[in-house]
Amino acid sequence: MLEFFLSLWSSWGDYTIRMVALGAAVLGVISGVLGCYAVLRRQALLGDAMSHAALPGIVLAYLLFGTRDLGILLLGAAAAGWLAAFLLLSITRHTHLKEDTVLGLLLSVFFGFGMVLLAFAQKQPTAAQAGLSRFLFGQAATVVERDVLTMAGIGALALVLVALFWKEFKLLSFDPDYAATLGLPVRLLDVGLTSLIVVAVVVGLQMVGVVLMSAMLVAPAVAARQWTDRLGTMLLLAGLFGAVAGIVGAVLSASARGLSTGPMIVLSVSSIVLFSLLFAPRRGLVWHWFQRQRNARRLRWAMQHGDVPPSVPVMPPADAPPDPRIAEQKGASR
Amino acid sequence: MMHQSHQSHQSHQLQPVPPPTLPAAVPAVAVSDLTVAYREQPVLWDIDLHVPTGVLLAIVGPNGAGKTTLMKAVLGLVKPAAGQVAIFGAPYHQQRQRVGYVPQRGSVDWDFPTSVLDVVMMGRYGALGWFRRPGRNERDLALAALQQVKLEAYAARQISQLSGGQQQRVFLARALVQDADIYLMDEPFQGVDAVTERAIIELLRELRARGKTVVVVHHDLQTVPEYFDWVTLLNVRRIAHGPVAEVFTEANLSRTYGGRTTAMPSR
Repeated sequence: MLEFFLSLWSSWGDYTIRMVALGAAVLGVISGVLGCYAVLRRQALLGDAMSHAALPGIVLAYLLFGTRDLGILLLGAAAAGWLAAFLLLSITRHTHLKEDTVLGLLLSVFFGFGMVLLAFAQKQPTAAQAGLSRFLFGQAATVVERDVLTMAGIGALALVLVALFWKEFKLLSFDPDYAATLGLPVRLLDVGLTSLIVVAVVVGLQMVGVVLMSAMLVAPAVAARQWTDRLGTMLLLAGLFGAVAGIVGAVLSASARGLSTGPMIVLSVSSIVLFSLLFAPRRGLVWHWFQRQRNARRLRWAMQHGDVPPSVPVMPPADAPPDPRIAEQKGASR
Repeated sequence: MMHQSHQSHQSHQLQPVPPPTLPAAVPAVAVSDLTVAYREQPVLWDIDLHVPTGVLLAIVGPNGAGKTTLMKAVLGLVKPAAGQVAIFGAPYHQQRQRVGYVPQRGSVDWDFPTSVLDVVMMGRYGALGWFRRPGRNERDLALAALQQVKLEAYAARQISQLSGGQQQRVFLARALVQDADIYLMDEPFQGVDAVTERAIIELLRELRARGKTVVVVHHDLQTVPEYFDWVTLLNVRRIAHGPVAEVFTEANLSRTYGGRTTAMPSR
């Protein structure tokens, strides 16, 4: 254990590991916070469709512009992710197809198209295509200081927007029809929030890749929901869980040869989810089980001793006069 | 009571019978020539309604009659294929602040991480405007509304810990803080017990006493004469519309339900 912390400390001195850990932490915060909205709006798989859809976007951007510049490639990813989200929402609205059906369809179509394009790009004679496949599972080691700063800037902007439109996003997530009757521009807010989720996905592509990105959106939110009943706390916790998972994953992957960072981050965040599902007070499975055992024991004891809990109504005498409210009700409706 | 009033015959009736206490003024809600279709099937056909100010109106009709759609069309939530809606003589989007909406309880996820007080404060979001957070004023209004529905003790509760009747009253409180002039309620009596139903109807009467107009999608035919003073009988078309004493007749009911009223369960 001590050895692990020592290696953690010494590895912090390493520039690459420091950048990877910082980048992963920033990604964890962004995807954790925005993922809460995806989960609460029952669009947990939307992020999955978007990130898989990003692959053809990346390759097309490369083929069209002939550059490996990260900014251009990620713009391609964002455009394709956004297109997938738009298609998903409009196909669901205008056809009889269920959302999960459309998701499954879009995800495989976009990803398959991306793989075909990738194979095509890799046959190109130019050497510049090398490294496109790193977007499949991410390659955190390629993250440099400039990338971390860009991610932090984008993340800060996203968080500011969430804070500015706090009550609007909350109402949109809870009751969009009611929000519309209050005069909120629901369609516009919907597009805005979805675009923010696209941004979170794109930011994560370089670190964890298109295949695993949706876990970064869903997992911190699911874990955070276990510990709180307030939206604000849920967002804070999800950001925290995402950041911790990012740092732990980055350090773990540095601790041994051949451990990829992306999968390690996803495994770390999954451990947090597992722990939360089991042990969170009130919503955790283990907590539930203990509570039920204890409760049943207490009630059995109370029954044996004739100790009726206060929440059980007092048995009224059989000849009690009828409650006028109920009598009136009965007369009126039957 | 058994005599069918002349006004239920045709839908193009521009002068409704005014309520006894008020002169024929601008109606609270005026719907004219409204047709709504999902794909090619019309769900509402050529609806005309004038709802006078200060009445308690029930919208009744069989399943699939378009009751909820009518309400959503008035609120601008569904786009009509034809027709207009006016609230106090002006288009809805100019009069939003005067209309409060109580959706069906099952339309939201009650496991959403928020408290009872928070949900009620949502009723003020429209009046607050952009970038302003609810503050002391909104809190006080929300607490007062919770008091009206007798849920003040539950203000800090997570909303999933409420019973169905309590959830319904939270939605009522959320509409009350809007301090609207017209309230549109979609099945507020759905799945609530007898005592809660009493509490809700007393609240509706109190609203009417304060001059508010309340439109309720309702399912229980037996309670219509007791609870409401106006009624709309709806089955894609407007079958009848007017004071309960005039239009809530056996003949109109059987026209609405296709002669199967007796076979209808009361709820």
